Amino acid sequence: MDKATLKLGGLLLAATMMTAPATAQTIVKVWSIDGTNQPGVSDTLSKEFNERGGDIQIEYRSIPFDELVNEALRAFATGNAPDIISVDNPDFALFSSRGAFLDITDRVANSDVIDPANYFQGPLNSVTWDGKLFGVPKYTDTIALFYNKDLFEAAGIAEPPKTWDELLETARALNDPANNVYGITFSARAGEEGTFQFLPWIQMSGGSYGEVNGPGAVRALEIWKTMVDERLASQDVLSLGQWDSTGTFNTGNAAMAISGPWELNRMVEDAQFDWAVALLPTDTDGGERSSALGGFNYGIFATTQNPDAAFEVLEFFVSQDERMFPEFSSLPARNDIVLPETGVPLKDAALQVFQEQLQYAQPRGPHPEWQKISKAIYDAMQAALTGQQTPQQALDQAQQTIAGILG
Amino acid sequence: MDISEAPAVNSRRRGNPVSRILSSIRDGNGFDILLVAAPLVFLVLLAGLPLIYNVLMSFQQVDMFTLGAWIRPFAGFDNYISVISQPEFPLVVRNTIIFVVGSMAGQFVLGFALALFFAQNFPGAATIRGLFLVSWVMPGLVVGAIWSWILAGDFGVLNAILRSLGLIEAAIFWKSDPNFSIWAVTIANIWLGLAFNMLLLSVGLAAIPKELYEAAALDGANAWKRFLTITLPMMRPTIGAVLSLGLIGTLQQFDLFPAITEGGPANSSTVAQYWAWQMSFTLYDFARGATISVMMFVLVLFASILYVRSTRSEVRG
Repeated sequence: MDKATLKLGGLLLAATMMTAPATAQTIVKVWSIDGTNQPGVSDTLSKEFNERGGDIQIEYRSIPFDELVNEALRAFATGNAPDIISVDNPDFALFSSRGAFLDITDRVANSDVIDPANYFQGPLNSVTWDGKLFGVPKYTDTIALFYNKDLFEAAGIAEPPKTWDELLETARALNDPANNVYGITFSARAGEEGTFQFLPWIQMSGGSYGEVNGPGAVRALEIWKTMVDERLASQDVLSLGQWDSTGTFNTGNAAMAISGPWELNRMVEDAQFDWAVALLPTDTDGGERSSALGGFNYGIFATTQNPDAAFEVLEFFVSQDERMFPEFSSLPARNDIVLPETGVPLKDAALQVFQEQLQYAQPRGPHPEWQKISKAIYDAMQAALTGQQTPQQALDQAQQTIAGILG
Repeated sequence: MDISEAPAVNSRRRGNPVSRILSSIRDGNGFDILLVAAPLVFLVLLAGLPLIYNVLMSFQQVDMFTLGAWIRPFAGFDNYISVISQPEFPLVVRNTIIFVVGSMAGQFVLGFALALFFAQNFPGAATIRGLFLVSWVMPGLVVGAIWSWILAGDFGVLNAILRSLGLIEAAIFWKSDPNFSIWAVTIANIWLGLAFNMLLLSVGLAAIPKELYEAAALDGANAWKRFLTITLPMMRPTIGAVLSLGLIGTLQQFDLFPAITEGGPANSSTVAQYWAWQMSFTLYDFARGATISVMMFVLVLFASILYVRSTRSEVRG
């Protein structure tokens, strides 16, 4: 009996040894935020890459948005950085400007898959530092105005608002506290999302992240303040992120929402009403358009032990860009991909608007100290919205802080 | 022969330093030293070194490449000056004081009241007291998430209750109104620390001999008088310990902030510990983050000294 067990054990051991691969596998570690809220790009593609069963295997790790950069910095400082990371585009310069990312200019020049000429200029700028290419844009996005067509119809409003003043009037007309409906929702959170939502307004008024206290920017902040003061938007826009804020639109508790294409899949399922997307209203009729450039970039850490394998994985990711919109509702940052119809009319119509809005999207930075610039902007926004400072005072203070950072 | 050889062996053993140490570990002072040394090494490695590293960092320039190093460019008091000259500094100091004093007062007063209540030994007192521990067992992030729902502006439970009682007309935006945000986190923290305070104070109450109360009652002292002249003086060391632990616990409290207000709106609920984290981990300014922690450390050190003193008199008493 004992002998038989031993024999069996030996056999099993031999069997496991035989099934072990003859060649050692190269492990490429990939970090991204995908897969925390819903199945995303990087987690899905990593799984597919592994299922092809090559010599290279991806070890994928999903990290929540708020912790991603911090975790990456700590890992880099202790020599445990992953091979590939996908970070939000304004955070990219923090790494690329300091040489923490691998310069892939030459590799891209020799690649059959990646061609810089295929990318939109805004996203491409965000992976470029000092004329060199440190990464590849993964996907891009921007924000526009979602509106509840049923509520618009009920209020007798035919068109979505085109100017800031119209937006304010429309929000007033649709605001219905008795039925728990706010005129509009957006995110004025104390964080990157707040800057993401407010900076386009500064840009529409002719300003930029380096010049935030022009008269147009002050007027924009005054309009935001009016919306919060008159309760046209919930005061909780000061603490809600875009995902939660747009959630109130989906449940019919807000008539309009400013958010991006990442909402489309959820909205198609959750929203029990007819909705559409319009371009962000401008300062004056026919005035300058702008929007935020969102989206993530891939970078390879300079500390990688297997740059060739990492670049091969990167090429695989890029080769799947055509699936970016149909499967993940994310817009590829490329001008050579024609997006197919999804068969969901609401989604297809929304996509058209987002693609048009994308032409006006401007990147945040790139600047290695973007987070401090961003904090100056959202601090000013929050100080004004809570009445601690007037919009003019708040933006003047932000301008002073930013001037100090830009030098 | 046997007898004459024995001392020789003994002296040879004494002469060998290794065996002398070994024997002292077996049955001498060496064992005591070993027992003290083990936790001491542990403390120095896990608490002492990080502390020194942190203090060092507050006098240096730090960036992502020198994050793991000891030697970095010296910055003098630049980090301290720049922390104090931040526009939000006075606000953070104010918030920290409100949070610490509010939390400690709330936890202590309510905790003491509950401890006295459950000391009355009515049927089920011990069981219900045990149930109170649930709040202490829960992780801060979970408590934060629950209070975040309770305190939500439009559809929060607290607003619904206050409205149905007729106490408020319009919704109070606990998390988004700068007048309420720091109190929102303070309320959650009082709830979180209540059970711990009650438990420690209950133990203190149980240690007071019943005869004292009986004697006082015979002498005609009423309940209030007995509380002032027996309970409070006898509880002095316990109260000291509870308050110092409360101060340390409150200054450590972090989870509730990201879960409820994220320090907002407009920094109106940012306290020192959350600010330090924000500096280091959202603005990646590690030196200034370390500087704020060092400033807080001085405060906690003060509390620790109080705590050690109060527990010392407890042992003597």
